[in-house]
Amino acid sequence: MSGVEYPKEILESLEDYNIDIRDFIPGHGKGAKLLLDFNKISGVEQVDGVILKGREIENGIVADIVIKEGTKIEEPVHLCFGVNKETGVQEIFPRIIAEDNTEVIIQAHCSFPKANGLIHKMFGHFYIGKNCNFTYRETHYHGENSGALVAPVAYMYVGENSIFENNFNLTRGTPGKVKIMIDIYAMKNSVIKSNIRAFGKCKKDSVRIRDSVFLEGENARSVIKMKAAARDGGEVLMYGITEGNAPNCNGHVECNEIVLGKGSICRARPFIRAIDPTSSVSHEASLGRFPQKWLDELKAKGLTEEEATQVLIEAMLQEE
Amino acid sequence: MILEVQNLTVPTMDQKCVILNNISFMVKEGTIHAVIGPNGSGKSTLAYTIMGLANYKPSHGKIVFDGNDITDMSITERAKLGITLAWQEPARIDGLSILKYLSLGIKGKTKTKEKVIESLKIVNLEPEKYMERKIDESLSGGERKRVELAATIAMRPRLIMLDEPDSGLDFIVIEDFLNIFEKIKELDMTILLITHREDIGMIADYGTLIWRGDSLLTDEFPKVMLKYCAKAGLKEFCKRKLFNGEGACFDEDYIDRIFREEQGL
Repeated sequence: MSGVEYPKEILESLEDYNIDIRDFIPGHGKGAKLLLDFNKISGVEQVDGVILKGREIENGIVADIVIKEGTKIEEPVHLCFGVNKETGVQEIFPRIIAEDNTEVIIQAHCSFPKANGLIHKMFGHFYIGKNCNFTYRETHYHGENSGALVAPVAYMYVGENSIFENNFNLTRGTPGKVKIMIDIYAMKNSVIKSNIRAFGKCKKDSVRIRDSVFLEGENARSVIKMKAAARDGGEVLMYGITEGNAPNCNGHVECNEIVLGKGSICRARPFIRAIDPTSSVSHEASLGRFPQKWLDELKAKGLTEEEATQVLIEAMLQEE
Repeated sequence: MILEVQNLTVPTMDQKCVILNNISFMVKEGTIHAVIGPNGSGKSTLAYTIMGLANYKPSHGKIVFDGNDITDMSITERAKLGITLAWQEPARIDGLSILKYLSLGIKGKTKTKEKVIESLKIVNLEPEKYMERKIDESLSGGERKRVELAATIAMRPRLIMLDEPDSGLDFIVIEDFLNIFEKIKELDMTILLITHREDIGMIADYGTLIWRGDSLLTDEFPKVMLKYCAKAGLKEFCKRKLFNGEGACFDEDYIDRIFREEQGL
């Protein structure tokens, strides 16, 4: 794949997320990778045990990613869906299969540094087999103009005894209009951790995220943590949904949202449901400002109220 | 004197009661000065008022730090002058690393990491093991308190207020904490130590006894402790535990006299 060119604006836009961009510059870094430059596949690099195939369609691609049975890889599989244009439509159809007994981290970057009327859609299907340890990290950067419309939808099946960690991060730049829907189906003894972070920074930013976990298997467990901040007229709405549909399953939803400046709105709507008498599902939500004691403790270190608030926002939205 | 508290009266938020009533005392620079008194006597309120917390505004009196009247200053302004507070129950904040937390109060941008490492070493935390950890629930109570101490040390303030630094700690680490306080003193920082425990207070050079919102005595610490015992009627405790045997500060006759005076005999 060496010699393949990729827009440096997209690579540079991810530096703020503490991502080592050398890992996915074509021809450099270890690990499998698939790079998309708008709707053109720039490069594909495979490693043993990982099949990566992309097919271009009218407004995007279909990408098939298969982690072969028993494969355990330390280096993340990088998926870079960049658009270095102001406008256009990019549609991604990823189909990700982790066969039984696999361990993998998939790191997806969606970067649209010049977005100003750009539409990005994703329809993803994830199938995670038995006894897997699967981490999916999706990091977004939509530029500084609130000019993107981003609407990813993902359906995820997590097999028996598997651990699935989902991390979605939209904290740099201005998000624009974002509508995200994630459905995770958890089978017997599986463990789901889903962490969502978003920051709406101005009036044109509207972020709506629905993260659902359906505990379908006995002893399945889940924790959804949704953290958001809205500033200067930005709007964030988070639905954290958990259903306990199997014996002895256990789920928890946590929403923490901070409102800064007039006109900003944060809303949290945890929905929980239990239909098995041995299941346990809980939620907690806090909206508004940071506890005064936290601010005072930082101010006693010499920080102003604004500086203390900024430190707390960065900490809250920090990727775990 | 680095700190002068002059006739300080602090009411409750609804202004209906008085928590501290006309308190006065002075703290000498470079010393450990303990503020002792029973639970509910207003010790923590005193620390919060000196730090300038919003809900602890004096209705009367002055706080003077190094010759400057700081009574109306904000917390940030006081911290920048060199005052800080280590809270009794410091916050646990997800996502905030110990390295970042300790860096916040360090003046200047150079050698920040070195200063953090040095501060962690003073409180006996291994820097390589702790710097990247978060100040969240994964830290034990003792670890969090050590991190808080390190954060205040990293600031190199002139006055550190330690609010019940021993609370929640088991006795085997108390000795270690006392050694840390000595190290802080050697760094030319003054400590205002809020405590209700005599074994913690005994490290202090001076002390002030707060009793039901009043400051009853400021003097060398043993004398203040004796007064505290006399007020509480703990004569046997006083003789047995504090001032008996090797290192005794007072003879029995003196102790008896103080107790008689307290009882108006």
